[in-house]
Amino acid sequence: MLSYILSKLKFLKLLGQNYKLSQSNSTASKDEKNTTSHLSVSLKNNLDLFKETIGNNYDVVIREFTINMQKQVDAVLIYFAGMTDPKIVNESILKPLMFESQLEKNTLASKLDIIEIIRTTMLSVGEVNKRNTINDIVDSCMAGNSILLVDGCPEALLIMTADWKSRSVDEPKTESVVRGSREGFVENLLTNTTLLRRKIKNPDLVLESMKIGQRTRTNVCIAYIKGIVNPSLIDEIKRRLNNIQTDSILESGYIEQFIEDAPFSIFATVGNTEKPDSVAAKILEGRAAIFVDGTPFVLTVPLLLVENFQTSEDYYSRPYFVSFIRLIRYMAYLISILAPATYVALTTFHQELIPTPLLFSMASAQEGVPFPAIAEAVGMGIIFEILREAGVRLPRPVGQAVSIVGALVIGQSAVTAGLIGAPMVIVVALTAVASFVVPAQTDSGGVLRIVFVSLAGFAGGFGIMIGLIGLFIHLTSLRSFGTPYLSPIAPLSVADLKDAFIRAPLWTMITRPSFIGSQDPKRKDFRLKPSPPSEKESQSE
Amino acid sequence: MILEKGQISSAQLFFLVNCFIQGALLPLNFAYPISKHDTWLAVIAAMIIGSVIALVYISLAGLFPGQNLVQINDLIYGPYLGKFISLQYILFFLMTLSGYLWFISDFVLTFIMPETPISSIMIMFSFICAWAVRQGIEVITRMSVVFSVIPASIVFITFALLLKDMEFTNLLPLFESPPGDLFQSTHIIMHISFSQVLVFLMVIPYVNKQGPSKTPILLGMLSGGMVILVSSIRNIAALGPLSGIVTSPSLEAVRLINIGKILTRLEILVAMAEILLLFIISCVFYYATVLGLAHISKLRTYVPLVVPIGILSIILSLLSYESRMQVSHSIMYITPIVSLYFYIVLPFMSLIVAKLRKLPRNKGRN
Repeated sequence: MLSYILSKLKFLKLLGQNYKLSQSNSTASKDEKNTTSHLSVSLKNNLDLFKETIGNNYDVVIREFTINMQKQVDAVLIYFAGMTDPKIVNESILKPLMFESQLEKNTLASKLDIIEIIRTTMLSVGEVNKRNTINDIVDSCMAGNSILLVDGCPEALLIMTADWKSRSVDEPKTESVVRGSREGFVENLLTNTTLLRRKIKNPDLVLESMKIGQRTRTNVCIAYIKGIVNPSLIDEIKRRLNNIQTDSILESGYIEQFIEDAPFSIFATVGNTEKPDSVAAKILEGRAAIFVDGTPFVLTVPLLLVENFQTSEDYYSRPYFVSFIRLIRYMAYLISILAPATYVALTTFHQELIPTPLLFSMASAQEGVPFPAIAEAVGMGIIFEILREAGVRLPRPVGQAVSIVGALVIGQSAVTAGLIGAPMVIVVALTAVASFVVPAQTDSGGVLRIVFVSLAGFAGGFGIMIGLIGLFIHLTSLRSFGTPYLSPIAPLSVADLKDAFIRAPLWTMITRPSFIGSQDPKRKDFRLKPSPPSEKESQSE
Repeated sequence: MILEKGQISSAQLFFLVNCFIQGALLPLNFAYPISKHDTWLAVIAAMIIGSVIALVYISLAGLFPGQNLVQINDLIYGPYLGKFISLQYILFFLMTLSGYLWFISDFVLTFIMPETPISSIMIMFSFICAWAVRQGIEVITRMSVVFSVIPASIVFITFALLLKDMEFTNLLPLFESPPGDLFQSTHIIMHISFSQVLVFLMVIPYVNKQGPSKTPILLGMLSGGMVILVSSIRNIAALGPLSGIVTSPSLEAVRLINIGKILTRLEILVAMAEILLLFIISCVFYYATVLGLAHISKLRTYVPLVVPIGILSIILSLLSYESRMQVSHSIMYITPIVSLYFYIVLPFMSLIVAKLRKLPRNKGRN
């Protein structure tokens, strides 16, 4: 016992020493950086400093050459191979500096001015900046810029040459449309913001950038329209983004989980989309979008529940059919979470509610099935999720096999073998199809389905009612960046119902959603109803 | 000391009161055996008398803007007598809550789940109520907007579907039952729905515009009363003399709907609507109990009280009631008399004492 305590004490002591050591180490390294972070006059020292910071990396190119002006000046060009455009480096940087500079007969006032002369007269590249700290230079080099160091100058030129292989703009895989733009975001941040700016050609479209993640230094960009968005929303987003103290941001999902309002809720309070036109529509309604470098998924806040049931296509097609389809989507979502539960409740507790002929056929189908309805429902639900997951993860040729095995063996044979009743298979299949109608809520639907099935197996219809009321309480109390999640339904806003269950004609949607709190609530003019030219006008013509 | 940070709009207050009054849809059953086919007259009478009494509560709230019932009692009767009276009110709210708990559990047992132990249903239901109460009055009122529209539309739809089976001569002759019975029936209806608006004295302070809480409450009472009236006319016209005999006229009447053998068994809709409405009513009483107790015991938040009060109300309702007959007897003959003290005597006394003491005093001086 005593020895145990002693060893524990020793361990603690060591821990303390370690901590002190690491503390002193970190302060020392900070000091070191502070003292040596500025460039010196000597090119060799600068180069050594750079090599020391960047380490021994195989993809870094250090090209030493001589600039021929009135006299020869040593220079070094540093860049990462693969992140820069070799054409620019060769044609617009190296060539003018090495050959054409001989023709240049500028008066060389002092050595300090060399770099300025190079910047203004020799480099035919769009963006060239001067920096003098090693941190700036390394950051810029990591972003794909080329660094030009000249002997005798304590400054470096950062030349914008970034260009690397990226996926071309393609049709989004998760949100396909029949009508409307087929562009989807890609992994490159600049391409994504460009896609947005091409939709909204307005100087009020603001793209604010920041870097998050101590190690990954990921570029994150907030997009909004000045004059429409509520400024407090932007402040809140910035506050939450600044609070993120993590070492890595690899996808916008990381950001989402750090800034969401209700981390324990099964409902997402931050939306994501792959389509530039949806992002444009959302920020035109007074929302803000968060672009993250390296992912085609762009976050939009605040998210309301009704947004999950809207698609960008709704606004491009005519309103009648769209309104009908939107109601179908709500119905499909309800079916996807309630159908197995209702089936369990009906067959277990409320047989009297089933019409008699149907009851007979169901009873004959269930005859000889060994398990209670709830076991069947839960089991089939889990089997379906397994099949779905397998279909998503497996390589495509194998995926086919999985679906055949799933459909034939588990569907057909299980029924003929008498393991599962045929009605249960129908219910599960209906549920599965319905759950894909609202893709944004597939994950919450999967959880709710299991909850409702258990409630129905435990307390029948009353259990389902209790579950629905509980779901409603939860949804009502949720907020997304200050906006009630269930608005415009609860709290009720009659004017905003025009875009909730139905989609009113575009010329009647005069105001932006009121609960998001836009600065400029009016979207378009009144009296935009299209009409044929009246008889008087046509006569005068 | 602000215990409730949420704010509700006067439109939401309207829906909450509407929901609250509509909730009498099923408890109305207790009035049918007494006044038979004249029940709809009793509903109208109760609506009128209830609105007049509600004016007393509203003027009481108007005298002390921003103060709830417990604080008003403190101001009128002083700290000690005020606390005593507030405690009586809270006990009364708790009793009403446990009565509703028993009523809904019994209803579910009778019509939906015949073989379940009553305590499990009570626990599930009060768990849901406790969840809502923890979220605050804001969430309860927001839900009431949806929960008042669904039952009202169900009543009107079933009315339209039942037109075929209705015989409006069932409503005649008017005033057949003796005036005493009619008066008793009116009193029952009033005490189970209209004068329970008293509990809104705990809610009115959180309406964001302090002034006009009068209009939403009165409008809510009238519109809710209209729904009850329509449903009672539907029941009497469809069932005739049966309406005084069956356990639940609303369910029995809707059960008659049979349109092309497709639209049948619609009483499940009525049952669902009733669960929603009783949920809102229980939440309001639950909330009033918990908030009042938190005010009396000077807590900073009422949240820790929610679960204990829920357990207490379950035990109280299991102890107080044993059978449906006992509940019927108590609601028809006993609670109307007891609640007179709370609905009429105390509020009138408070108003008179406030006027005599010329309260609130610091109105002009500060």
